[in-house]
Amino acid sequence: MEIRIKNLNKNYFSEGKTITALSDVDLSIPANKIFTLLGPSGCGKTTLLRCIVGLEIPDSGEISIGDEMVWSKDRGIFVPPERRGLSMVFQTYAIWPHMNVFDNVAYPLQVRNEPKDEIKRKVGKTLRFVQLEGFENRPATKLSGGQQQRVALARALAPEPKVILFDEPLSNLDAKLREETRKELRSFLTKLKITAVYVTHDRIEALSLSDAIAVMRAGRIVEIGSPKDIYFGSEQRFVVDFVGRTNLIEGKVVSVENDATLIGTAIGTIVCQTQIAPPVKSNVTVSIRPEFIKVTAGECREERNTFRGRVESLVFVGEAYEGEVKVGETRLITKIAPTASLKEGDEISLHVDPDYCSVLLR
Amino acid sequence: MNRWRVMYKMRTALTPSLIAIVGSLTVCPVVMLLLGSCSEGLGAFGTFTLEKYIKSYTDPALIEIIISTVVFIVGSALVATALALFMAYLNTRTNIPFKALFQIISIVPMMIPHILFAVSWALLLNPSNGLINLLLKQIFNLQHSPFNIYSLPGMILVEGLLDLPVSYLIMAPAMFSFDVSLEESSKVCGSSNLRTLFKITLPVLRPAILASITLVAIRSLESFAVPSVLGMPGRIYLFSTHIYRIIATGFAADYGMAAAVGMSALAACVTLIVLYRHLTSESEKYVTISSRGYRPALIDLQKAKYPLFGIVALLSFVLIVLPVLVLLYTSLVPYSMVPSLKAFGMMSWKHWLAVLKDPISLLSLKNSLFLGIVGATLGVILTLFVSYTIVKVRTPASGILESLSFLSFSFPGVVIGVGFMWLFVRTPLYATIGSLLIGYIATYLPYGIRPLTSAFVQIHRDLEECSRVCGGGTFYTLRRILVPLLVPGIVSAWILMATMFVRELSVSVVLSRPGTEVLAVQILRFAEDGLWGKLSALGILMILVSTTLVVLASLLGAKLTKVREDG
Repeated sequence: MEIRIKNLNKNYFSEGKTITALSDVDLSIPANKIFTLLGPSGCGKTTLLRCIVGLEIPDSGEISIGDEMVWSKDRGIFVPPERRGLSMVFQTYAIWPHMNVFDNVAYPLQVRNEPKDEIKRKVGKTLRFVQLEGFENRPATKLSGGQQQRVALARALAPEPKVILFDEPLSNLDAKLREETRKELRSFLTKLKITAVYVTHDRIEALSLSDAIAVMRAGRIVEIGSPKDIYFGSEQRFVVDFVGRTNLIEGKVVSVENDATLIGTAIGTIVCQTQIAPPVKSNVTVSIRPEFIKVTAGECREERNTFRGRVESLVFVGEAYEGEVKVGETRLITKIAPTASLKEGDEISLHVDPDYCSVLLR
Repeated sequence: MNRWRVMYKMRTALTPSLIAIVGSLTVCPVVMLLLGSCSEGLGAFGTFTLEKYIKSYTDPALIEIIISTVVFIVGSALVATALALFMAYLNTRTNIPFKALFQIISIVPMMIPHILFAVSWALLLNPSNGLINLLLKQIFNLQHSPFNIYSLPGMILVEGLLDLPVSYLIMAPAMFSFDVSLEESSKVCGSSNLRTLFKITLPVLRPAILASITLVAIRSLESFAVPSVLGMPGRIYLFSTHIYRIIATGFAADYGMAAAVGMSALAACVTLIVLYRHLTSESEKYVTISSRGYRPALIDLQKAKYPLFGIVALLSFVLIVLPVLVLLYTSLVPYSMVPSLKAFGMMSWKHWLAVLKDPISLLSLKNSLFLGIVGATLGVILTLFVSYTIVKVRTPASGILESLSFLSFSFPGVVIGVGFMWLFVRTPLYATIGSLLIGYIATYLPYGIRPLTSAFVQIHRDLEECSRVCGGGTFYTLRRILVPLLVPGIVSAWILMATMFVRELSVSVVLSRPGTEVLAVQILRFAEDGLWGKLSALGILMILVSTTLVVLASLLGAKLTKVREDG
């Protein structure tokens, strides 16, 4: 089901101060896709999710889920959370400690007064799906973090909802488990044909899980797009900086040729591929992600976008070296293959493909 | 839609209506006390006069009462805190054996009603036929009893022992979270253990020590059992017994004067509470918890180990076993005598049968049982809503509710009882068991709120919200999620309130009337008449009643939680 949000506003009042959590949010979440709300903590992403599910009441605006309007200030509509027919996985998992696994998962079905046999069948099916078969009688307090996460997921899936909401569901797992669960979750959700709204502040989670990402900042949605669009194509400094590590270089537009823009910067002229060219002489910022900077010892054959620099520091982080290279007075971070035989102080050449140099708006 | 609107309105109406209920329970008696103190008397209520103030505060006996009260509260505060400090130090910092005993000392004495504890000491150390006095006279061939418990030092000793657990519960955590490196650096500088104790340990613990002294002072100012059982026979009157004397003895009970005296007792209590709050917030700033999770080697007591343990063992014997033993013994022997073969030969159920045939004792048993069960149940229902509002609603209004509900914590029972007397006198509730019920709930509200608020705090908001998202409405969520998770908190709140109500003395001595006698008041009557045998039998019945209630409630709680797990 599609979720449409119009003009949503929400303010909190605390200790005499007004805190804006949501400001004029307009959003359409497509049906049967994994849609992620990404942003730093306090950007309003969780508030938005809680407004959709009905746990938070917005100050103004409209929310509709499928064909049903669930909240409208003007029309005086508020459908309480228990009648919205959604499912949600909480950040804390919210596994009820006084029930066993079966009862936790069966709860939404018991609420709906489904026949006992039916409940048993559905719970069994769901537990099989999340690979927790045979855990029915395990007390909820005797589960590991990963198992709790699966129980929470099973409980959300059991009533076969059209929409499922996730509030940072992986943030309480350790790094390795988080990676595994992320992949599993992706495969579960694509199998099910279900609308998923996912809230996270973790860019890797957002990029790897989602069909579409909405980046939020200070209660507003600043950009919506596919993971690749957001990562490569964003022209907003905040988004570029938030979704990945990058080098930001200040400069001035020198000239515009066909589909390339030449920008004069402290490290030399950078050629950038742009769709909409900025006006000549305007001040801009160039963003180059470290993984696209090619490092060669000695000379480089390419002419455009080649710079000479000196290795300032090399830190071995496992899958690569994180190198800091000084070009003139500018420091650039680069990712260098762990096999490279470089050492600190070496003179090197840097090359960047113009396709991966993006010009950011001020 | 409509149904939800109604529920939403109910939720918003909850806080104001609770403020109204709790407010009238805790503020009304104070207001009535104030109005009463400015009136001619229960009959001429409403006409303003300062006569009662003039009469009570120009009483020449008042000076002595004030001096005795101050000596009593300061003395018992020092006794309790010093003992608690000694025990907390031994438990947390030394290698004293049998540390489980300390756990028992800090909890179990709270189960023994104060009046029975006081009575057992009267039985042991009263000057005419106290068991220890008789024994010493026999052994050393003395003419006079060496000890007299009916004196200020006697009262201070007993009250100090009674408040030892409370003080220990403040001192032990403070001692435990003490950053030991402060001491270690002192020792590195060359100080001895003892010097370090006095120069470093005690000064750093000062906030906790002061908090303990203040809290015990509040409790002994509110205390009625010890002043009435041990003070009145020796004609030592404190504030609480002075008020009691004004209304319960003599020809004309003067409730106006009682209210006028009560006002200053109330003011003293409120001042101490404010001081206590200030001290505890200070001590939080002083916190020296070390985050390294490292505990140093315990101080080896060496040869002092077993003698020191002997002292602790003696203390626990005196606190827990002795009172019950003395009562049991006294209930079985015909008159006070030193335990001997002859005494054991003369033992009989005489006093027990007398009590079980005494209509007033039976009535008081029935009334106390009713007040314990019904009162605790109503009290828990009220505190359930109040705690929910305090913890989960969190608006400025719920803050008011929190302050209101802890207000009665600072009220001496006798004083609040006088306030309720003024409140009820013109209503049909006067001299009914209902008036006691209301008075109890109002006075002991904080005892129910404390376990329930901590239970609510433990229930994460997500657990509730998740149920709503799963489709459970407000009441479905309440029934399937909140109540089952609250069962342990509900059980302990119920147990606390029920045991408090079964033993209640200080509110009851004012509100209890012929027909509404309760156990503790009946015990006090027996003590006043010197009927120690009957008293002891009834006292043991009282302990049995509260123990039975505790066991039943725990079993029920365990069963409720069990059913949820199975189902």
